[in-house]
Amino acid sequence: MRKLALLAGGTALLLAGVGWAVRDASSAVQTSAAGCDSLTAPTLAAGDTARLRGPRQPIFFRHDIHAGQYKIQCQYCHYSVAVATEPGIPSMQTCMGCHLVIGGADSASKAEIRKLREASAQQQPIEWVRIHYLARHAHFPHMVHIKALGPTACATCHGDVTRMPQVFKVNNVNNMGWCIDCHLERTVSRDCSVCHY
Amino acid sequence: MADDTPSNGINRRKFLTVLGVAGGGTAALSGCSTDRVQKLVPYLVQSEDQVPGIPTVYASTCTECAAGCGLHVRTREGRAIKLEGNPAHPINAGTLCARGQAGLQGLYNPGRLSGPMARGADGSWQELTWEDAIARLAERVGGGAGRLAVISGAGEGTFADLLAEWTAALGGRLVRYEPFDHEPLRAANRQVFGLDQLPSHDFARARHIVSFGADFLETWLAPVEQQRGFAAAHGYRDGEMAKHVYVGPRMSLTGMNADEWHASAPGTEAVVALAMAHVILAERSGAPSDANALRGVLAPYTPEMAAGECGLSADAIRLLAREFASARPSLAVTGGVAMQHRGAVEACAAVNILNYVAGNVGETVRFGSRLPAADGYGALDGLIATMAAGEVGVVLVHEANPLYAVPKARGLADAFAKVPFKVSTASVLDETAAACDLVLPNHHALERWDDRRIRAGVVGLMQPVMEPVMGSMPTGDVLLKTAQKIGGVMARFAAPTFEAHLKAAWAELARQRSASAPVFWMEALQRGGLYEAPPAPPGVRLAAGAERVGYTGPDLDGEGALVFLAYPTSMLFDGRGANRPWLLENPDPVTKITWQSWVELHPDTAKDLDVREGEIVRLVSPHGTLEAPAYLYAGVRTGVVAAPLGYGHTEYGQYAKGRGANALDLLDGGAGRAFLPYLSTRVRLERTRGYQKVAKTEGNPRQLGRHIAEAMSLPLARQGLDPRQAHYAETGGTPHEINTERELEAIAGFAAAQQAATKLGNYAGEHPRWGMVIDLARCTGCSSCVTACYAENNIPTVGEDEVLRGREMSWLRIERYFEGGEEPGEPLEARFVPMLCQHCGNAPCEPVCPVYAAYHTPDGLNAQVYNRCVGTRYCSNNCPYKVRYFNWHAYNKTAFPEPLHLQLNPDVTVRARGVMEKCTFCVQRIRGAQHQARLEDRPLADGDVVTACAQACPSGAIVFGDLNDPASRARAAAADHRGYHALEDLNVRPVITYLAKVQHRTEA
Repeated sequence: MRKLALLAGGTALLLAGVGWAVRDASSAVQTSAAGCDSLTAPTLAAGDTARLRGPRQPIFFRHDIHAGQYKIQCQYCHYSVAVATEPGIPSMQTCMGCHLVIGGADSASKAEIRKLREASAQQQPIEWVRIHYLARHAHFPHMVHIKALGPTACATCHGDVTRMPQVFKVNNVNNMGWCIDCHLERTVSRDCSVCHY
Repeated sequence: MADDTPSNGINRRKFLTVLGVAGGGTAALSGCSTDRVQKLVPYLVQSEDQVPGIPTVYASTCTECAAGCGLHVRTREGRAIKLEGNPAHPINAGTLCARGQAGLQGLYNPGRLSGPMARGADGSWQELTWEDAIARLAERVGGGAGRLAVISGAGEGTFADLLAEWTAALGGRLVRYEPFDHEPLRAANRQVFGLDQLPSHDFARARHIVSFGADFLETWLAPVEQQRGFAAAHGYRDGEMAKHVYVGPRMSLTGMNADEWHASAPGTEAVVALAMAHVILAERSGAPSDANALRGVLAPYTPEMAAGECGLSADAIRLLAREFASARPSLAVTGGVAMQHRGAVEACAAVNILNYVAGNVGETVRFGSRLPAADGYGALDGLIATMAAGEVGVVLVHEANPLYAVPKARGLADAFAKVPFKVSTASVLDETAAACDLVLPNHHALERWDDRRIRAGVVGLMQPVMEPVMGSMPTGDVLLKTAQKIGGVMARFAAPTFEAHLKAAWAELARQRSASAPVFWMEALQRGGLYEAPPAPPGVRLAAGAERVGYTGPDLDGEGALVFLAYPTSMLFDGRGANRPWLLENPDPVTKITWQSWVELHPDTAKDLDVREGEIVRLVSPHGTLEAPAYLYAGVRTGVVAAPLGYGHTEYGQYAKGRGANALDLLDGGAGRAFLPYLSTRVRLERTRGYQKVAKTEGNPRQLGRHIAEAMSLPLARQGLDPRQAHYAETGGTPHEINTERELEAIAGFAAAQQAATKLGNYAGEHPRWGMVIDLARCTGCSSCVTACYAENNIPTVGEDEVLRGREMSWLRIERYFEGGEEPGEPLEARFVPMLCQHCGNAPCEPVCPVYAAYHTPDGLNAQVYNRCVGTRYCSNNCPYKVRYFNWHAYNKTAFPEPLHLQLNPDVTVRARGVMEKCTFCVQRIRGAQHQARLEDRPLADGDVVTACAQACPSGAIVFGDLNDPASRARAAAADHRGYHALEDLNVRPVITYLAKVQHRTEA
């Protein structure tokens, strides 16, 4: 599986042609610390989503604008990540908390925000396409990792979403070697039953 | 686990192909095990009390029997996943029985109706809208279609009050009926004490307990409360324990927990109790002085006279009476089969007298707190007569299933059919609902607002813990909407919903206590209800009727040679548990039979009749016949044949329908009686030459000298002996020294090697060592822990066929062994051992696993990694305790048909086909507690981790904790002198310590 992940990364390298989409996983982690205060997200429209990495979402929600340009804390939306095993997907109410007022700067973002407002008015939740899916025989408690690594450690696994117009999978979270590498490095438990039960 | 078949997605080869061609990048291909697009659907509005990944617990009240235990309903992401006891509740104090826990499978039952239905002109069911359904009901009950009759289950509360008022306002008649409603007990209390009440019993204080057929550990009154009290009194501590004697023709679970079982002849309990009272009064003056007045009445009931009737020896009765009188306070209870024959009022009255002369009334037997539960069979019998006479126009049945619960001989089905319009509120199509014209499915108790008055000062509240699973409607709302539709005099039922009605009733309770209504309500809701101290018990004196106690002998009809004894089982109770797979698969604690009904015969009776186990026998009574496989049980008196109630449903969902035979078919209908006698018939046994393998989970009923379930007598326990010393003290031998110098050297060397191994890598440093102590002096074999384990760990039920192949998956099973009872006169003794993975320090399963799926964790668990397991089953072969269970088929796909899959615990992997599984010591709870402690920057404290079995156990027999923590309860308990390991000689170093049972027998 690890070979497959590399293969996928290599393929992405060849195909990466859009904006400054992150080229591979390791550079994403490295650049996240250094260059985050001068981020200005590029202007993109829904039509560009096909060229971006990662699955197309029902709304072209841009982590690079929210978390990058405007520096909104991850936990503002992913509210339970520090207290529970699950990170929490923001409710429609959370989105509308801002977007009742904020209508978007350009026509592309205005169009996307309009989709959100319509869904909210019709009481229809947005069905996001799931990107990280951990196999059900493994248990990953988010809160303990945030406790150990700090509130900005999300990028360790999820990549630097502050630079992702469309979120894609940077690391294969179902590759156990990826978990073990980190656990070895930090000399924390590698006992199977810590995750598998 | 990933799906075990690649058919519906992309396998590895196809993955590579597609990647090569398309270059990847779509969601469907980007993962190793995600083979389809998954959606994340957010909440519209974030719930304030639900955080994903953290359970939210709601307080509620159990409705599975009339005891009214408090519940904590554990919910995850908006669905209930487990029922646990409410620690603050005065009745169950945080524990819960198997039936209570299986209430969850009532909520998620696959047989639940999706909405209201009406019988069409052609007799088929047609789905209705609720508006239409209520209009039809209003038209019938308000339109003068004739007299209304309502049959409802037991239980007092705001709903019961509303139903009574609603029925009265419509000029109808309400009968509240529940099987086994203790009517004879109430009649006897009226007669002897002039109190029309049920007593409450303080088992915890009693030093000597005599049960006349009362199955107080399984089905009688409030089993969980009584089991807690019994464990406190009868559990061994510091050289002291109460004695428990069971008198009755069949050794039930309660009888198995007795130190002595006296197999009295059926229907003769009264004479034993009277003779005991006779002896007490003859040998000392009555403790309450007015008891002396009974000497004349009791004079004929000498032990010799009683011995001739009941089959016990006069000396045994005399000795029993003396022990009973000298232990203060003592307690005699009557119920079960003793309360279900035609002389039951006599038996209950006799036991009342016995308690009175021994000075127990006001001490261990108290009046004034238990509320009347139901109207009794007499009221239902009267209603059946009016239905048969065609005088009832509309019948509404709520939370009752009379067409199943009343013997067919009473002719209820015909009488019921004469009613022109029949309505049921059953949420599952039971026998009664199937015979109705309109079905208005009620919300499950976990989906609705409700309350229940349990006893004086204790009111349990119920609240919706989740969105309704089906399109049902609370019957309270149906009553109110119907009343509003009818209008006129019914317009006074003006509350918009039952919730508003209930809150108004609670505002009144707050007003009576001069409390702020909203604060009072919120506090009660959080607590689970109102738990006030019971009122002071009234002073009880003998009433004039006490002079009329007596004994007239058993009254049985029929000509057969055998007396038929039908009894409720601790799993199915009156039959309402028959559609819960957990209860069907959890073996009956006495016989260890699952999924089937049976007929119990004493081995001697069977020998006389030439019947073998599994042979299908036909019982013929004057009222009907029954066919079921025979089960030979030395705990049933010779000449008596016993069969469980609760089986033989003709409707009631896929699990119950057509399963086993209904023992009620053999019974007299009880026309004109105040209560239904379940022990009233003689039967003839016919052999059918048919054979059915009995689906029982026991291997061998005898221990064959393997010392699995150890016991010692009370004097030896007082000397502080360990089980082995006690064994040799009893048998007169000396321990045989097997450890030669070489063997000792080898063991020491092995220990050193183990020590060295623990210094490596993951195993270095300080770790907890999880361990468990199980006190067999407290364990009653009730099997509550088994259901708790199924619920917590997503254990699939496998069904009858697989149990017959020995493939049940119960990670925790209760092994039941018999001792004695083989020679005539030798007492029969039962012992229970909860058997689960022993998490051996030197586990034989671990080294044989070729893929390291079975291995030892640093914190002392014997872990099983499901995703590593390839299913060689070597580990199971090598396990001396046989506690590893293999998924022979995809049980995960058959055991949880919708909506039963909603019960699954998201913290525990659902195992797929081909995987070995076993007890994990609830590792998900251990990890959860460790994570919580880490978040709070504190070390794990003793008691932070409680396994599901320990949590559920009403006896408090299981203690779990860190054996490396010098302050832990588990470590202290494991050091008890009664401690031993099962199959200790194998040197597998189990981490579970059993504490030997203590027998309180009278030395000859």
